[in-house]
This record gives sequence, structure tokens and C-alpha cells, in this order.
Amino acid sequence: MSASQIPNLNTLRRGGGRGRLRGRGGGDFGSEAPSRRGGSSTKDRVVQGTDNDASVSRLSAVNLGYLDDPFASALTPPGQETRRLPIINRGTYVRTTTIDHLLAQFLHPCPTPTHPPDSPQTPTSTPTPTPKAKQIISLGAGSDTRIFRLLASLPPHTHPHPHPEETIIYHELDFPSNTAAKIRAIRAAPHLQRAVGDPENVTVSPAADALHTPHYHLHPIDLRQLAAVASSPCPVAKENLQALLPGLDPSLPTVLISECCLIYLEPEEARRVVEFFVQVFDAPAVEGQAGAGGAGAAAETGAGAAALGIIVYEPIRPDDAFGRTMVANLATRGIQLQTLHRYASLAAQRARLRAHGFRDGQAAADVDFLWERWVAAAEKERVAGLEMLDEMEEWRLLARHYCVAWGWREGLAGGQPVFEGWRALEGQGED
Amino acid sequence: MSDLDRAIAQLRACRLIPESQVRELCYKARELLIEEGNVVCVDAPVTICGDIHGQFHDLMELFRVGGDVPDTNYLFMGDFVDRGFYSLESFLLLLCLKVRYPDRITLIRGNHESRQITTVYGFYDECIRKYGSANVWRYCCEVFDYLALGALVLGASSGLEPTGPALETTSSTMSLDDSELETEVLNSRGEVTMSSYRPKQPRTDSPLLPSLSQDKSATSSTTQNPASSMPPLRSGWAGTGATGDSSGSYATGTGAVLCVHGGLSPLIDSVDKIRLIDRKQEVPHEGAMCDLLWSDPDEIDGWGLSPRGAGFLFGGDIVKHFNYKNDLSLIARAHQLVMEGYKEMFDGGIVTVWSAPNYCYRCGNVASILELGEDASNGGTVARSNGEYGRSNGGAAGAAAVTRSPGRRYRVFEAAAQDTRGMPAKKPVADYFL
Repeated sequence: MSASQIPNLNTLRRGGGRGRLRGRGGGDFGSEAPSRRGGSSTKDRVVQGTDNDASVSRLSAVNLGYLDDPFASALTPPGQETRRLPIINRGTYVRTTTIDHLLAQFLHPCPTPTHPPDSPQTPTSTPTPTPKAKQIISLGAGSDTRIFRLLASLPPHTHPHPHPEETIIYHELDFPSNTAAKIRAIRAAPHLQRAVGDPENVTVSPAADALHTPHYHLHPIDLRQLAAVASSPCPVAKENLQALLPGLDPSLPTVLISECCLIYLEPEEARRVVEFFVQVFDAPAVEGQAGAGGAGAAAETGAGAAALGIIVYEPIRPDDAFGRTMVANLATRGIQLQTLHRYASLAAQRARLRAHGFRDGQAAADVDFLWERWVAAAEKERVAGLEMLDEMEEWRLLARHYCVAWGWREGLAGGQPVFEGWRALEGQGED
Repeated sequence: MSDLDRAIAQLRACRLIPESQVRELCYKARELLIEEGNVVCVDAPVTICGDIHGQFHDLMELFRVGGDVPDTNYLFMGDFVDRGFYSLESFLLLLCLKVRYPDRITLIRGNHESRQITTVYGFYDECIRKYGSANVWRYCCEVFDYLALGALVLGASSGLEPTGPALETTSSTMSLDDSELETEVLNSRGEVTMSSYRPKQPRTDSPLLPSLSQDKSATSSTTQNPASSMPPLRSGWAGTGATGDSSGSYATGTGAVLCVHGGLSPLIDSVDKIRLIDRKQEVPHEGAMCDLLWSDPDEIDGWGLSPRGAGFLFGGDIVKHFNYKNDLSLIARAHQLVMEGYKEMFDGGIVTVWSAPNYCYRCGNVASILELGEDASNGGTVARSNGEYGRSNGGAAGAAAVTRSPGRRYRVFEAAAQDTRGMPAKKPVADYFL
């Protein structure tokens, strides 16, 4: 695979243009970072390899007509193309469209036709567009194509000459080996380059593992560095933030995505990674002020806190026969789902989001529920017609072991609520 | 040692036989299968098996648990191929055994024994991978076209011989002097984990025990108009009785057991209708033949649309009526993953038997096989039903005006261990969403 490891020396280098010292070489975590971040441990390489599974599955679903994604092929390693089984394709479809739908409701908060047909929605938000730019942060994004699909769907006038007030800023965070592979893929594919935009606005770091455009930032970073920052007694200073994640704007309404990512971290690290962002968006305007007190403290101190939402997609229910087999099978591949037992149910996922301070709403649903309730009848018929599913029990079994959880808190500066669209979405009541 | 025995030995070791031999084997199998009716008659004792799906190591475990061929008679209800990594080895071994011991092993067709399905679910790719061309796949598909669509098990006894000491934890109903062992569940070590009894010779005018209500409820829904619904063409099998019309029916025997991969069809109201199908073809997308291989029982009334996109869902009323009308005491079918290996529904009128443990190396389920014992009460003479031979057994003892279900012994087993005697290792590479 393309996972050539980037020498750690590069973290000390100065990037061109928007690039700057990214801070990995300095600070109190600098000494620890090289051994962990270089992806040198087998475990890390295995986790990086899981991205391959996801991109191959995505291409399979695209080739068979489940998903429309012109970028899937260019972001799948050559020679890996293979046809997945129908239940895997259907699961990939549900996972992708669910997150797409949540993002669409965040970016353009008015009900779309993909709502459950049997629960007609009356628009709760006024049709006037939310005037602010919005931000999306994808953790462990790997070869994900979503950014390219979003960029391609932007109205042309916002794209080459962005009006920041009407547009999106998308951040992807991943191991340097994965971001470098993605940059190579972008360079190799003209339609990816076109989606990224005017070359004059594109900056790539000398190590070719970081990319920055007005809309799109690709950050080569081990998330555990963020966890280290979150656990340090000092809050995230603005300079530090720009060093860690250049281009991140803590004043914008933002959604955090973990699509099968945080689950690979140790539970405490996974918690701290989310905590890092909660803190960053708690106190965007108040530099140097403690924001570690969670939601309550933020409500009192962070007068300018930006709206923040989170979407988590990951396996659940490890304790039944299927779950135990999943854990054992993945272990033979060296994959450990480290937070699986801590967030083992829909209820635990909701409680997790509540504990992180996403106080305005937390919901979760398994993939079986999402297929049954979120996919409109006509679309369900179309998808079911693509391939005959030979075994329904197996599908339900598999689909009940993956969930999407979403939670949010509105900004404190007043103004229009950002997550009204999420409020209307149907979660699953059971555990 | 004949070539065939050599091939069997080789396949048992999970090693493939040369293409030329496959071709010859498939030719012989076809000659054999073409002589079989759409519904094969099989005498008890027999061990009924569900889906195998290329899980060769688990098929070996099945033979270990259930006894080897030809010592044990087997009836496989289809889905030999696809999904697992050893569809070729599994199917070719079963086919060799069929050719070698035609009366000891019965193979009927599953929905995966189809050109279209095998191209999606793995068997086609496996043939290409292992033989370098589609030839072997084509030979196998030609055999698929000749597989029977169902089987009738005749002469099963209503009571089981108890296996022996039960586990401490065994749950069981009281064993009374005048009761017989109706069902027994054993684990792979041969230990009894569950057993249930019922009265030996229920009289028609006395209610059955509540826990054994299957026979009663099976009739209660249909007794309103029993005689008029009986087709006159059926000479019947004394003792299967099912109705009031065969007054003075006898024997401790049971009704026949219909084995089919999927289930019933709205186009099929009698076993004889199955016999009229022209089966020697690819599984059609709809129609009676498709339904038999694709349908599922469900907790509904009447018929429903299947979420699989082929076949139908059918409810308990459909099963009761079909069994009553056809002198059946039980329908055994496969086709649906059940985590516990078997699942009886509709007061015991239908059972799903699933024989692929840890299905797809991912599902974590156990598997089972169903043993039906031989009814020795009439000296081993097997009675025929459904007019197959137009004769009855001429009467033995005992009155049974309701169709008694056969005694059922389920042997539950788990997936074979990784290190199976010199065979290629299992490959537990299951896909997950990562």
C-alpha cells in the first residue's frame, strides 16, 4: 500500500504559504509524539489500514449503483477494486447516506425529501438561509470522498471566489501516511484537483502531507496529540490551535464527524479528543480562559461559544454472539475496538454525548433502524432492487451492530439556532 | 479402491479432484438425479440438515456429530454453496457421496443452487479461482437443475428412544409411564440439554396436555369442515389419519414430513402439485418452483410479501391447512439463519433447521441437525403416503385420529475448531464496516 512513512523531521519544517510550524515538534507533547505518531507501531498501521476497507466497500457500492460518487474510484488504491457482498453494500449505503443527510440538515436546515415518509415534517425553521459559514471536522477521514462531493455541489459563485459567509470549511484529520496518500491521489486525478479548486489557492506542505485551501484543510496529525492537549492543565491557546490545526475557526458553527475513528483509541484518549474540540468551541473569543468545566462552566464563561454538533458512526452491542464474534475476528486482524465496551449501546452513546456537553439534543439509531425508517419507500425499493439479499436475518444481525449517534449544542451568542434540522430527525428509542 | 472412493477420500481431506473427474462425477450424478421425482420419498431413520454454504470444516463437524455416511442416512435441504470459502469441496463431496450411496443420502435444491445467485454470492468466483475457468461451475449448475425440489420422510416414529443421562441443567417435562419422548436436544458432546414428553396414545376425544397442544391446535383450526376438504384422490396412509374420515386409523406412526428448502407457495396447495412442476431448469424469478426455494414462515395471517425480493411469507394458518390437507405432521425447511440452530413455529407445524455454525464466519450462531427415528412398531414396514404406492400399511395397533408429529432429536453443534487435521485452515476473514 501507499503508506510510506513520513520522516518525523518534517514536523519541524516550515510549510509554504498558509503552512506554519504545526507545533508537533514543540510543546509539552513534542517529546512523546515521534514514537507514537510516526505510525511506526503495528497497531497504528493496522488502524490506518482500516481505511482501505472503507474505500473498497465504498467503491463496490458505487459501482453497483447504491451510491453516486464520482470520486470513489480515484480514492481507492489501484488494484483493490472488488465486489462486496450485498449486505455490506447496503450497510455502506445506509452509513453514507445517513451522515450525508445529517450534514445536509446542518448545512441547509430545511427538511428534505429523504425524511421518513410516514412522519411528514412541517418546516420549523424559516426559509432564510443561515448567513454564516459552517465548518465540518472529520476525524480519521482517510480516503473519504465527502469533501469532494460537497465541494462539487457548492454553487459555482461561492466556489472559485468564496464568500466566506455562505460557504463551508472542511477539515480532515488523519495520520500523515493517510493524508500524504490522499494528496497523492488528488494530484493524480484531474477531477479531484478541479474539486479542490484554483491551484493558486492550494498550499501543500513540503512533506506533501498537509493541504490547505480556503475550503479544505487536510491535517496530518495523530489525534492522540489533541487528547494530550485536552488533558493538559492549560487551555488551548489560540496560537497553539493555529499551530495544531491551521485554518480552524473556533467561532463558526461546526460539526465533528467520527466515522469509525474514535473507537480505535483508548477510551480515555477518545474522550479527550472530543473534549479538545468541546473546549476549543466553548471559548472561541476568550483566550486563555479555562474552559475545561464542561457544559455548565461553558454556559457561564464562554459567552461567545459557537454551535457544535457531533456525528459518531461505530459498532455497538459487543456482548451478544455476533458481537463477540466480531471482536474475536477483528482481533485476528490486529484490530482492537477499544471504546466498544464503554459505548456498547444506543443509550450509552446518547449518555456519552450528553456527558460531553451536547446538551441540546442527543440521539442514536442502529443501521437496521436507519434503513427501515430513514430511507424513503421509493428509494428503498430502488436499492433493494439492485441486488437480491439472500439472508434477511444476517442483514438485521449485522445492521443492528452499527449505529449513528448525533448530538449538539447551540451557540451562546444568540442568533438563529443551527441544529433545528437535527431536532426533527427520528432517533431510536431503545437501548 | 475405486476412483470414486479415492475422490471421496481426497475431498474429505479438503483437496479438490481434477476437472475431468468433476465432469464425470457431475454426469453420473445427473443420471441419478434425473430418475428422482420432484419430491423424493425417504424412509426414516434420517438426519435432516439445513444450509451448509461452503463451510467445509463445519460439514465435517456435522458428520462427526451426526455419524458418518453410510452409517447415517442424510437429507440435505440445499444451499450447499456460496458464502463460505469451500463451496466446491463441500458440494463435490456431497455429490460423490450421493453417487456412491444413492439410497443413503438425499440432496434437494436450495435457492443458492442457481446460476444467477452463485455469480453474486461467491461460488462462481471460487470455481474460477480454483480451476481457472468456469467449466466446473457450469458442470455443477447443470447438476443443480436436476436436484429434487423436496422430499417426504415416511415412517418416522412418534416417540424417541431416550439418549441417556441428561445434564444436570437439562430442562424437561415430566417423564410419565404412559408418555413418550417427543423432542430431545443434544449438544455436540452428545449430552441432553432439553427433552419433552407427551402422552403415548392420545385419544381423539380427550384433550391433549396443554404443553403438547400442537396436534390439537393443528386440527382445531381445520376441523370445522374436515371431510369436505379432503381430496378424494388421496388413498392415505393409515395412521397418518389427520382427519375424521379415516375412521379406525391405527399405528403409532406419524404423518409424513415434507422437507423443502424455503417453504410453501400460494400456487401449491398439495404435495402432488409440486410433482407437476417442470423442475429441470434454472430457478425462475417467480412461480411455484421459486417460492418453494425462497419463501419463509412468518408470524402473519395468510400470505405476505417477502423482504428478500423472491418467494413469499406465509403464516401459521397456511401451514396448518397445508399439513392437514396433505397428511403431513411437520414441514422441515432451512433457508433462514436461526441463532439457536433450529426453530419450531406454529405449534410445531414447521421447523427451520440451520446447519452452518458461525455463518459466514461472522454471525456467532450455533447449528443443528434434526434426527427422525424409525417407527419399529409395524415390523419395519414403511408405509407410503400421498398415494405414492397406493397402499396403506394395512393397520397395526392404536388409534390416532390426529396427525402425530414425529419424535424430533436436534443435535446442536458449534463451528469446527481452527486446526482441523491437516486440512487447509479456515479463513475467518469476514467483512465488517470499518
